[in-house]
Amino acid sequence: MVDFARVQKELQECNKDNDVSGISIKPKGDNLTHLAGTIPGPLATPYEGGTFNIDIILPDGYPFEPPRMQFATKVWHPNISSQSGAICLDILKDQWSPALTLKTALLSVQALLSAPEPDDPQDAVVAQQYLRDYQTFAATARYWTETFARTSALGVEEKVQKLVEMGFPEALVRSTLESVGGDENMALEKLCSG
Amino acid sequence: MEDCTSSSEQDYYCSDQDSLDGIDNDESRVQWVPPKASSCKVITKESLLAAQREDLRRVMDLLSLREHHARTLLIHYRWDVEKLFAVLVEKGRDCLFAGAGVTLVGNHDLPSSSTIMCNICIEDVPGTEATKMDCGHDFCNNCWTEHFIVKINEGQSKRIRCMAHKCNAICDEAIVRNLVSKRHPDLAEKFDRFLLESYIEDNKMVKWCPSAPHCGNAIRVEDDEFCEVECSCGLQFCFSCLAEAHSPCSCLMWELWTKKCHDESETVNWITVHTKSCPKCHKPVEKNGGCNLVSCICGQAFCWLCGGATGRDHTWSRINGHSCGRYKEDREKKAERAKRDLYRYMHYHNRYKAHTDSFKLESNLKETIREKVSNLERNELRLKDFSWVTNGLYRLFRSRRVLSYSYPFAYYMFGDDLFMDEMTKEEREIKQHLFEDQQQQLEANVEKLSKYIEEPFDQFGESKVMEIRMVVINLSVITDNLCKKMYECIENDLLGSLQFGIHSIAPYQSKGIEKATELSVCWNPKVTNTEKCPTRDYHTNGITKESNRPSGSGSLDESGCSSRKRPRKESTIDLNLPAEVIDRN
Repeated sequence: MVDFARVQKELQECNKDNDVSGISIKPKGDNLTHLAGTIPGPLATPYEGGTFNIDIILPDGYPFEPPRMQFATKVWHPNISSQSGAICLDILKDQWSPALTLKTALLSVQALLSAPEPDDPQDAVVAQQYLRDYQTFAATARYWTETFARTSALGVEEKVQKLVEMGFPEALVRSTLESVGGDENMALEKLCSG
Repeated sequence: MEDCTSSSEQDYYCSDQDSLDGIDNDESRVQWVPPKASSCKVITKESLLAAQREDLRRVMDLLSLREHHARTLLIHYRWDVEKLFAVLVEKGRDCLFAGAGVTLVGNHDLPSSSTIMCNICIEDVPGTEATKMDCGHDFCNNCWTEHFIVKINEGQSKRIRCMAHKCNAICDEAIVRNLVSKRHPDLAEKFDRFLLESYIEDNKMVKWCPSAPHCGNAIRVEDDEFCEVECSCGLQFCFSCLAEAHSPCSCLMWELWTKKCHDESETVNWITVHTKSCPKCHKPVEKNGGCNLVSCICGQAFCWLCGGATGRDHTWSRINGHSCGRYKEDREKKAERAKRDLYRYMHYHNRYKAHTDSFKLESNLKETIREKVSNLERNELRLKDFSWVTNGLYRLFRSRRVLSYSYPFAYYMFGDDLFMDEMTKEEREIKQHLFEDQQQQLEANVEKLSKYIEEPFDQFGESKVMEIRMVVINLSVITDNLCKKMYECIENDLLGSLQFGIHSIAPYQSKGIEKATELSVCWNPKVTNTEKCPTRDYHTNGITKESNRPSGSGSLDESGCSSRKRPRKESTIDLNLPAEVIDRN
């Protein structure tokens, strides 16, 4: 059974200094087992300026078992799957300690963005690029940040407006955006494919 | 070998008389108990704790540690006490402890009056409901318990780390046991079992007996893992690979051989090359001459070359309604090769099988021999002692066994599978002759021994019996020596000169496969209670254990273990037969 009292306290604690850390955690739905975290891309990295959403699921044994986290925002990083958003981070696996919190875990994820470990990759393609051609890697990562991590930061109304301007009917735009969870690019793809 | 026995019979007789005298007059010794104290030990469920404690004790004494710290160290170093001591000497005490997650803190006092904030549940709890680990980290008992339960269920009982981030310290097993048993007594038991069984699971020198259904025992060997042992449940096995005892075959050879015999892969090989499936009934059909129009017993005609169904009419030049093609040369070569490989395999397998079959027949001799001996005893001869009969029979079994397994050995030693690149053709031939000479000598003497033991000597007169006695004793000594020589030859001349293929064989045991003796334990239920009972008073605990220290390794305490000995199958002679033979008896 998840220790909800602790989770409650953690959320309060984390959102208190949200303006300093930029990290926030919100419940996704009615109970506290499914959460949504956001971290700002660290400065002086290709991820700067992006806001990254992280999907958090708390297992029954939390905090004695690690939370399950994965990126909901697409990101180009050697230790994060470009396909699924799965994160390769020791503290989310065997190095988890019950003394860690969701906030400290998210801080570690943020630290991972600034300090990739290409020798222990989650995404082999990205890792190879990182090692062999850092320029291209940085450019791709920046492009992905611009494309996926910025737009998702737009408000819903702005997205609707943007898509309506492209010539889609507003009602359809709204329902499509809702069906893909607010992802503007996926919505556009869906709208185009009819 | 014929002249060897006849010409020097007298010499053999005299010297044998001396060497066998000790055994002759002592019927109980017919079991051929190995002369020196056995170096392998049976570890039963009951003696596991004591077995572990021998090693724990050494580490505790040397480093003046508490038991759980010693256990943590030993689990980390996989129960290799020597290695642990080597690290101690090389890198020092602190490094040894840090690597294994042992932290020593003198003071365990808790501020019982005050409350503390538990960093896990983020609640204030009274100091009495919190526990501080050796590493100094303090959390509430509820959180500790949850943590332990998760870790035990994850199968990590052997190394439960402290909850603090990046703290490498291993939790005190007494605290784990104490807290977990309050909520889940069965899980606490599981935890204890994991700790105990770590001694077997993580230890190179200890292995579970492979018996099925499992007898519950484990075997510990002292110095060489390449040996053959007999568990107290009666199962004989190779300690290294846990298969049946198979020397002089190496483990790899034996694995390949059993697989080969099981698959009958050679037969399958031959069938694929020499037969074709009938296109109608799919039975393999062999061509027994004639033209390429073959007809199956089901009546279907088909073309031998392509396997396709045809009509039945044909001329010299073509088959009715069919024309396929060409003769294929490589198929001919393949057929020849497969045939040669099969013949080679059959040669070795037939001999292996023949000796195994002889076991079966000879093991029936056990009863007849007993009858013969009692008949002789009734005959009131001058000769009163007949242990030479049983000794001879035993020697026969032992040598048959060696002989039998020497065939799969030769199959691989001189075949293409394992050592093709390691020997030139000439080298291989020389070695093969050397080995086969020894094998033949052994074979001849074993057969002779078998013949004499089967003689109805209980019907003979005294002088004739004396004569047979002499021959049997001679042959026993000869075959024993020949077995020894064959092992030496394998070790020194055949395998020893190889560079790459590392094949270790279990050494020859003249007296049969070593029976593991039960570990001597001073069984005192009181000690286990103190041991298992979670207590925070380590000092008294330490003293209790000191006084109940098990007697040193290697010393045999017959009285201590005899009560738990399993009832043995009633047998006067150790047959030392392979498992398949014993099964059928």
